[in-house]
Amino acid sequence: MMAGWWCHVRTVLTKELRDHGRDRRALLLALIYPMMGPLLVAGGLALAGKTLQGDFREQFIDIPAVGLAAAPDLVDFLERRNVRFVAAPKDPKNAVRQGRVPVVLVVPKSARGQTQFTVQLLTNLGRVDNLRITARLSEMIRAYNRDIGAQKARAAGLAADYGTTVQIERINVARDANVAVFFYNMMAPLVIFMIFLGGVHLAIDTTVGERERGSLEPLLLAPVERWVLLLAKAAAAGAFTILTTAVNLAAFGIFLGLAARTSDRLVAPPGWDVLALILVLAIPMMALAVALQMAVAMVSRSMKEAQIYLGLLPLVPALPGMVMVFSPLNPTTMTALVPVLGQMLLINQMIAGQAVSAAHVLAATVSTTLAAAAIFCLAARWFRREKMFVLG
Amino acid sequence: MIEMDRLCKSFGGVRALDGLSLCATDGRVTGLIGPNGAGKTTAFRIVSGLLAPDRGRARVDGLNVARQRAQAQRQLGVLPDVRGLYPRLSGREHMRYFGQLQGANGAQLDADIDGLVDRLGMADFVDRPARGYSRGQELKVALGRALVHRPKNLILDEPTNGLDVMSSRAVRQLIAKMKADGHCILISSHIMSEVSALCDDLVIVAGGRVAAVGTPADLRRQTGTDDLEEVFVRVLADGANVESG
Repeated sequence: MMAGWWCHVRTVLTKELRDHGRDRRALLLALIYPMMGPLLVAGGLALAGKTLQGDFREQFIDIPAVGLAAAPDLVDFLERRNVRFVAAPKDPKNAVRQGRVPVVLVVPKSARGQTQFTVQLLTNLGRVDNLRITARLSEMIRAYNRDIGAQKARAAGLAADYGTTVQIERINVARDANVAVFFYNMMAPLVIFMIFLGGVHLAIDTTVGERERGSLEPLLLAPVERWVLLLAKAAAAGAFTILTTAVNLAAFGIFLGLAARTSDRLVAPPGWDVLALILVLAIPMMALAVALQMAVAMVSRSMKEAQIYLGLLPLVPALPGMVMVFSPLNPTTMTALVPVLGQMLLINQMIAGQAVSAAHVLAATVSTTLAAAAIFCLAARWFRREKMFVLG
Repeated sequence: MIEMDRLCKSFGGVRALDGLSLCATDGRVTGLIGPNGAGKTTAFRIVSGLLAPDRGRARVDGLNVARQRAQAQRQLGVLPDVRGLYPRLSGREHMRYFGQLQGANGAQLDADIDGLVDRLGMADFVDRPARGYSRGQELKVALGRALVHRPKNLILDEPTNGLDVMSSRAVRQLIAKMKADGHCILISSHIMSEVSALCDDLVIVAGGRVAAVGTPADLRRQTGTDDLEEVFVRVLADGANVESG
């Protein structure tokens, strides 16, 4: 004879895992769905990497141009800097507006024989991919100006930089790695989204689903405390949550690693040690997610209703994370004490390769665990209500 | 022994039970019969520890169900009207799961399950997933689930509903065997021939109260008819007349 609540937890947990482990469709979704976010982010990163790669390694840029014969020196200067001029379309403005060409250089006929003249760069800065080529061409023309200015100054017996009052030396400490970090910052909200989605099918099916199938009543006839049954079901949902989160993090590790290799200008993504730490650090958040799922399922009148509510639930914690991708928030003791938010900030820090404070880890872990326990107690209380099966 | 003592239960403004009392003794089959909505399922649920009565008490082998729910549930095997199987588990896994929840385990549990498979004629399908079971197969597994922990008291709600002739006969034989073994059996059925063949005592309920109680022979004598269905109809009609009078 077995005795003790733990034995009952083990019995129900084993049954739920066996039962849902046989649900191939749900299992397949649980394994494939967590890869979608990492694939999208990695795809974006690979594109960004390709763009950076082109900026620094491309030997030539093709510039459609009009009226080059009027400025042979400028043309010579630019061609020596890997600019290849091509014929401009008939209607250059329209061609640029429609995105057929990124930029068109227009040299006016009046420039012929002049030492000072104006050229036009027709560009459409509404397209991000035009920024790079426009900026590069502008910079080369400024370099031509400095070159001619230096020649004139020397001819007049002046210093080459006579005409320049203030020189700017730009030092980009982040270099091009910033682009990669922007993508890595998307990890935290997507991981949290998956945490709140991973066990949701099981949470619904083992509670309100059991009621709809009529299997809850026989189960409640067993001499087992209701909270023990709910704990076992929550543990099963938690196991699926851990599995999907682990798949999600592994997918991030693999796909971002592959994407980062497309360019040596991108910093490497968080390593496997960081991803493993994130998985461990997120366990209280998984407990909170499962407790919330259970509580919502308890008050839902049908599986459909529970699916609607719980389909929206992951957006609540993930939205602040999306906001923080664009406007990062630094962790403080107060923010660490806010369940989910505290852990989200810590995950962000870990992804960014920053040192995390042990006090913040403790505060976030304790607060989220307490919140999970409180919500679970509420769900267990609701599970005792006669409504749980009388309405079924 | 199963006892109900002046049970009252309301859901919102609807009174499901209104002072229902009965006693089902060991070694006998007691039939609880009544029209739909008479309160049979509510009474069963109170005895099973699923619902708490507003007033009154339910006892199983002397154990107060409200206060000693787990102990009382160990003495009770229940076949609910909704069979509620898990589609991806086999019949054997169902019985093992519920046996383990009742505290059974190991070789003894396996032997008990094998015994039930033989007695209920489940060998052909017991190791297949429950998805695709016929209604009769579902009922057999649900019955096995209720019996797997060898309870002394049984509550069977429509025990032969959906079964073919041979399976119904097998279930009736099983009930007779358990009665002979000294079990207390409380059943609900709308099939009067089955009630007549199986029950030693009858409790006819209407409006959450006992309308008549006695052996089938007593009730036939009281109502002056040999047909049990007619007995049932006359008792309900008398009850309705008393209410309206």
